[in-house]
Amino acid sequence: MKRSSFAAPYGLWMLVFTIVPIFIIVYYAFTINGAVTLDNFRMFLEPEFVGILTFSLWLAFLCTLLCLLFGYPCALFLAGRDMRRATLFVVLFVIPMWMNFLLRTYAWMTLLEDTGLINRFLEWIGIGRKRLMYTENAVLFGLVYNFLPFMIFPIYSVLVRSDRNLEEAAQDLGANAWLVFLRVTLPLSLPGVVSGVSMVFMPAVTTFVVPRLLGGGSFMMFGDLIENQFLTTGDWNFGSALSLIMMGLIFISLGILHRFNPDAESNGAVW
Amino acid sequence: MQDKSPPSGIDDYHLIELVDVTKVFDTTVALSRMNLYVRRREFVTLLGPSGCGKSTTLRIIGGFEQPTDGKVLFEGEDITRLPPYKRRVNTVFQRYALFPHLNVFDNIAFGLTIAKVHRPEITRRVGAMLDLVGLRGMERRSVDALSGGQQQRVAIARALVNEPEVLLLDEPLGALDLRLRKDMQLELKKMQQRLGITFLYVTHDQEEALTMSDTIVVMREGRIQQIGTPKRIYDEPKNAFVAAFIGESNILDAVMIRDERVRFCEREFICVDRGFGQNKRVDVVLRPEDLTLVPAEQGMLSGVVMSVLFKGVHYEMMIDCGCGALKVHSTSMAPEGERVGLSVVPFNIHIMEKVGEACPA
Ligand SMILES: Nc1ncnc2c1ncn2[C@@H]1O[C@H](COP(=O)(O)OP(=O)(O)OP(=O)(O)O)[C@@H](O)[C@H]1O
Ligand SMILES: [Mg+2]
Repeated sequence: MKRSSFAAPYGLWMLVFTIVPIFIIVYYAFTINGAVTLDNFRMFLEPEFVGILTFSLWLAFLCTLLCLLFGYPCALFLAGRDMRRATLFVVLFVIPMWMNFLLRTYAWMTLLEDTGLINRFLEWIGIGRKRLMYTENAVLFGLVYNFLPFMIFPIYSVLVRSDRNLEEAAQDLGANAWLVFLRVTLPLSLPGVVSGVSMVFMPAVTTFVVPRLLGGGSFMMFGDLIENQFLTTGDWNFGSALSLIMMGLIFISLGILHRFNPDAESNGAVW
Repeated sequence: MQDKSPPSGIDDYHLIELVDVTKVFDTTVALSRMNLYVRRREFVTLLGPSGCGKSTTLRIIGGFEQPTDGKVLFEGEDITRLPPYKRRVNTVFQRYALFPHLNVFDNIAFGLTIAKVHRPEITRRVGAMLDLVGLRGMERRSVDALSGGQQQRVAIARALVNEPEVLLLDEPLGALDLRLRKDMQLELKKMQQRLGITFLYVTHDQEEALTMSDTIVVMREGRIQQIGTPKRIYDEPKNAFVAAFIGESNILDAVMIRDERVRFCEREFICVDRGFGQNKRVDVVLRPEDLTLVPAEQGMLSGVVMSVLFKGVHYEMMIDCGCGALKVHSTSMAPEGERVGLSVVPFNIHIMEKVGEACPA
């Protein structure tokens, strides 16, 4: 038996659940009642739909940016020299990830509610209740919270395997801590950043559950729009066209990210 | 401690001084009360077996490790607590540590850009370095696309371009093949003399140490065994450890009867050493090339040839003299099983204190 045949089950899986569905989507996207047409894509050009896409991209962008701003220092800290401390914190970061993200989001809902823990605390210290749920910020917060580990781990895994000798070499050549970071640590961790960004940005654009729960349905995301077409409106043709547009965007952003990646071949990041 | 007058071209100025430096890692004592000075323009080599604390010494001088106790002086100033980036020394690391995200030019220019040197000046100085190490034309190459020898040159250029007072080199030739090693040894020595930079060099290769250094520091388990010129260390090893580590030697138990009289192999010999006291147990070193093959009845010692190996320039014979096998190097050869005599001139009988007594704990 050839070694490649071990991959057969996976190949079958891919065929049935990925390749075939993509063909079905392409078929639906370019037809209405069996007739070939571009109307599904034309329909998307309505300001309402373009607006939803822009909003989704904007929110995903903010989410990615915040994840990067919080995640990078975290990863740096975790990859630090003190192994015992780091292991403890790695575990602390991993444990929430073992929980389903829906559960985590529900947990946050109870915290953010008008009568939730946070508001009671605010009341207690005299600031008074604030409306936290069903705001854009609540959605953003939920997204950042859910996706943060996906930013931290690729960066962490690159940093932790980085060669400490290089940092010493930079110090030896006159670089202080800040310059060592700027000239050596940061550029060498770019593969991790790129992979973290793509692992946060792509799912964030297409996400629909978190905005619905924390945004109370007041914000329509692109993911919601697609889901609506299939499950509520029943317009599979338009839904398929939207899905294709989504895929196109993902490929474009992957391409852009790839350009930023200094060594795309040898990047040891998570994917 | 360094009882020698400086070789020509070296100021008798103590550029770097280690005072009672001790370094303890958790439970291992890497260095214990190390005292050493390095003079301006001197080529000093730290020599010793793996784990004896050579790298640790270098890292303490570079500022990457803090001594547990003791002081590091640079031009007489205490720099023990100074961070590495403020020290006027540069290091060539054991495994080069070139920046993989930068090309050859940018690697070499790293220190100058940090120091905010003007661009044309950088180009000029990096260019001069490229010429010096023979890498002209490879500026734009990625450092991963270089051979071991070329990477090694980049590492040296990257350190030298900053015109450091002292260059620390941690086994810089360790990863090269024998041929390239020999070439680079000569080149490094030439570079050091031409630029007039002080080198503190680490190796565990005694031959390398002997050919390149002005001064050799022999270390063992975090302690200095002997400091001296290559010739002095080779000719007058202070104890059996140094003798065994530097070159090949026969080390025998002996008793110093009185000045210039020593007894080993059940026979009394005349030697030139004095001041060891009377009837004192000592070690005697006989270098294989100092033992001369003579007819059996004329020898001071006699024995049976146990084995003969041809080594190119000479034969190496093991001769059983009844007091252990002696290694002899000679251009003439006696066949296995033959009884031969050995003679040695008094000047070549080296007397050393017993190791344990040489360095009180
Ligand atoms: N960071 C460290 N933590 C614990 N022990 C260390 C550390 N660095 C060095 N040591 C120990 O200190 C001793 C001296 O090490 P050092 O690296 O100076 O040896 P070396 O002479 O350079 O050896 P080699 O020739 O193998 O490079 C060794 O026993 C080593 O295990
Ligand atoms: Mg070492």
